[in-house]
Amino acid sequence: MLNKKRLGLVAIVVAALLILLTTYLALFFAPIPQTSVEVANKVAPSVEGSRMQVAGFIGRLIFTNCTGNCTGSPAVLLADFSDYSRYTSAVEDSALDQPWWTIQPLIVEMPAGVSLDDLVLGTNLSAMGEVKKTQGFPSFQADYALAVESSDDVTIGGSSGEYEIVIAPISQKIFYFHMPSAWVCYVAFFVTLVGSILYLRSRNVNYDRLAFCSAELGVLFATLAITTGPIWAKEEWGVYWRWDDTKLVSTFILWLVYIGYLSLRAAIAETGTKARVSAVYGIIGFVTVPMSFLSSRVAPLIDSSHPEVIATSKGGLSAEAGITIGIAVVAFTILYTAMLIRRLGVAESADELEEIKREIGGE
Amino acid sequence: MSAILHLAVKDLRIELRSKDMLSSMFLFSLLMVLAFRFAFADAFASGEAAAIDIASSSLWICFSFAAIIGMYSSFVKEKDRETLEGLLLCPVDRSTLYLGKALSNLVLVFIVDILSILFFSLFFSYDYDGHALEVVAIALAGTTTLVLIGTLTAAISVNARAREVLLPILLVPLIAFSVIIPCVSATKSALEGQMTEAVREISSILGFAVVFGAVGYLVFDYIFEG
Repeated sequence: MLNKKRLGLVAIVVAALLILLTTYLALFFAPIPQTSVEVANKVAPSVEGSRMQVAGFIGRLIFTNCTGNCTGSPAVLLADFSDYSRYTSAVEDSALDQPWWTIQPLIVEMPAGVSLDDLVLGTNLSAMGEVKKTQGFPSFQADYALAVESSDDVTIGGSSGEYEIVIAPISQKIFYFHMPSAWVCYVAFFVTLVGSILYLRSRNVNYDRLAFCSAELGVLFATLAITTGPIWAKEEWGVYWRWDDTKLVSTFILWLVYIGYLSLRAAIAETGTKARVSAVYGIIGFVTVPMSFLSSRVAPLIDSSHPEVIATSKGGLSAEAGITIGIAVVAFTILYTAMLIRRLGVAESADELEEIKREIGGE
Repeated sequence: MSAILHLAVKDLRIELRSKDMLSSMFLFSLLMVLAFRFAFADAFASGEAAAIDIASSSLWICFSFAAIIGMYSSFVKEKDRETLEGLLLCPVDRSTLYLGKALSNLVLVFIVDILSILFFSLFFSYDYDGHALEVVAIALAGTTTLVLIGTLTAAISVNARAREVLLPILLVPLIAFSVIIPCVSATKSALEGQMTEAVREISSILGFAVVFGAVGYLVFDYIFEG
């Protein structure tokens, strides 16, 4: 028969082993995700000055040394977008000049054997050309260069089928810790909500302890999530933080709400009042965040550049990455449960100690 | 309903006799706008778009902080004068108490909103491009949501030590999405003359008011008890 203490200990050991396993798998098993795409829709990775077969759709024709009605041989801007409408809306918003814009149009010279009439904006083109210019960061180009070097016998932009492009740098590995932390913090805050509601209904102090301990752990894991995210974002987006990403901002606000929750608890001495009042705040606080999606200013941002975890038709995680992230989520959930059990035990002992102090008349 | 009005009128009558909140909120908004005037003088003159940006954001910073000052005292005063028990003994629902407090807060904060709008116009010699009425309407809608959330958190924080620091810590994360973001963009749209956009924002602000009002109505009971 396992008692609570032993159960907590076992769970911690299991979680620790699973996290070690996750680390191993993340480093040596899961590949950096390859974005598997229809080759016709993607520009091949490239570095400036190199000649290669590239494919994409035509975003813009760039004529040099002429004004007005230009003929002759234009450079072609091939845009690396999943579809043409996304590209045009990005151009409208001048988003291409933003430092966080990670999709990189490549400019190649006029392909041989293609007439000017064929160069209709938005049509797909696969051509051999010199890459005149890439937009983006040195680190990106280095990644691309790496990808090209390691597969230099591959014909990029081949006739058909799918082609894999390395899009993420090594910092992507942090994903296996980032996403489970974020998941656990949402679970923890939800447990706080449930604990708060149950406390108000039953006045059972155990529910209050549950809400409190879970909120503490939620803040811990939210801190992990919002600190590991920027490490990756700096590499991938070029900035640490983006205020136009709903996931980032709402997690941050949630973090602030529960810091407020913990400050509130720390500022009230009387136990009954503390439990009651903080339960009320725990409920209002949790209501805030789903509501953020109602705000019309925020809603359009939901489909932002935050990576999708669940595989979509656009591609997704490879099987190896999927297994790793699955184990990571299980590991973090067990870790949370184990820490919660231990923390509840500590909180219970602290309350007992208070009780004993009161009995012997001390303060 | 009449109980709510009674409670609000009681608060406002006390306020009119002492005028200590109104005078300090008046001074606060004057000083805030003055500070914005010095901080943004050059940026404001740099073009119409900048002027609209500065007007919409400064006004809402001003409204929010003035509201925090005002709402803080609404329960603290009762506690300090030891009238809170008396108030709680009123033969009405606790939820009625909540709405009454929210109503009196709304009146006070809205008066300060109007003053800030006037000060802003005066100091920046800005006439809101003929959209002053819309700005006032948005101020009323946003302040309604603000006081519904703020009255709740003010009641929560009155139980705590260091409550004057605690109130903004509890309140600001809650109003970030529900008041500040939509109100600033509604004001901006209104000043730019995009009325449909502004109306859409106002309806979402009022939606927040309904949700928070309902949540507050349900949970207020639990704050003062025992």
